Amino acid sequence: MLRLAVPLKALVQRFAVLFLVLAAFALMLLSKAETVVVERAASTISDIAAPIMDVLSRPAASLNEAIETARNLANLRTENERLKRENARLLAWQEAARRLADQNRALHALLDFKPDPQSRYVSARVVGDSGGAFVRSMLLNAGKRDGVTKGQAVVTGDGLVGRIVSAGQWSSRVLLITDINSRVPVIVESARDRAILAGDNTNLPKLVFLPGNTVVKPGDHVITSGDGGVFPPGLPVGRVASVGDGGIRVQPFVRLDSLEFVRTVDYVGVSTAIPEDDEAPPEADKQ
Amino acid sequence: MTGTFAQRLDRIARNLLPLAISISLVVLSVLPVYLPGYGEVAANLVLMSVFYWSVHRPELIAPANAFAIGLLQDVLGGTPPGMNALLLVLVRSVVVTQGRVFRGKSFLVLWWGFSLVAMGAGLALWVLSMGYAMTSIDPMPGMFRWALTVALFPLFAGLFARVQNSVLQ
Repeated sequence: MLRLAVPLKALVQRFAVLFLVLAAFALMLLSKAETVVVERAASTISDIAAPIMDVLSRPAASLNEAIETARNLANLRTENERLKRENARLLAWQEAARRLADQNRALHALLDFKPDPQSRYVSARVVGDSGGAFVRSMLLNAGKRDGVTKGQAVVTGDGLVGRIVSAGQWSSRVLLITDINSRVPVIVESARDRAILAGDNTNLPKLVFLPGNTVVKPGDHVITSGDGGVFPPGLPVGRVASVGDGGIRVQPFVRLDSLEFVRTVDYVGVSTAIPEDDEAPPEADKQ
Repeated sequence: MTGTFAQRLDRIARNLLPLAISISLVVLSVLPVYLPGYGEVAANLVLMSVFYWSVHRPELIAPANAFAIGLLQDVLGGTPPGMNALLLVLVRSVVVTQGRVFRGKSFLVLWWGFSLVAMGAGLALWVLSMGYAMTSIDPMPGMFRWALTVALFPLFAGLFARVQNSVLQ
């Protein structure tokens, strides 16, 4: 009996390996096809793990904050000087903004202008980083219960971070603008030309689909265009870092690798001709 | 069945240790560290754990366990579900069938074996990621990650050995 059992066990195990390999491939294909069942199962697992990760990630966050505080203390004097200068400059800007806002209101009234839809924000903590060399994403500790849904834009005070690709009840995943699957419709501010900001897993995403005659130079600001209705228009994204053979590279305003808190933007946009899913344009890969 | 109920429970708990360690490392390795650039080259602690236990106590890391560990890694880390699951099942199979090469040999042999297995797993992950994204991906972060993983292996293998000697034997 025992003599039979050992080869039998080995046989069963071999079949188990084959079965699991096939199951893994099936899962990958199903998730590529964005099957609801797979997505929901993955969100459920994230939901269970997120509270644990939330607690565990706090010591690292506190340490990070302590280091930041110490650094700030050391630079207090110079920082104070800098802030005073900046404050003076910003007061001048505030004056200008007030004047423009008044003027804008008057012109809107003249034109019978329909205002942009209001956005609603949900704040969340980053509890998980991307696991590995070939993905750029983050896990947040807020989900559907908090008002986070798939497709929402994710921002900080500095600018655009990415967009929600899956949302569970208590957790959600953000695809960063640097990820290879990220495509964001943008405007290059100086020329007002539309383009797509395409991530390629490097820290500097690329501008593609710019009209041929556009002149872009380093330092130009890039903001969301709002095309496709996924991202609200006018969110700061980054500034052009280099223009060269490697394409036009954009340095995001947000430091994506040391984020602790972000906000998701619930934006009810007006959909334009470009399809809703900004992941789509297949031609993007050829650029 | 031998021993009292408590003894049996104790043995079950001890036997679950490799799985528990691997799962803890999955969670640990996706926690944000706030170090610029670290996330993409972070050492693959989970691979070290699955490799180590597959060499020394293969009966405690069943193929289904390897699959579950990998799947958790996928879901929490944001890789496509099934990708790391596939790799860990294959790593376990390769290591278990080649077990005799490693067991009872010097640590250098084990380290060399790990570097090969990690290289294979890293290459497979790169190819699978490109297939999934249907575009080419820069392999450099993967190579840095491999180097860091191999460099840190002795440290973690030492820790695992300590656990193995004090709890599992």
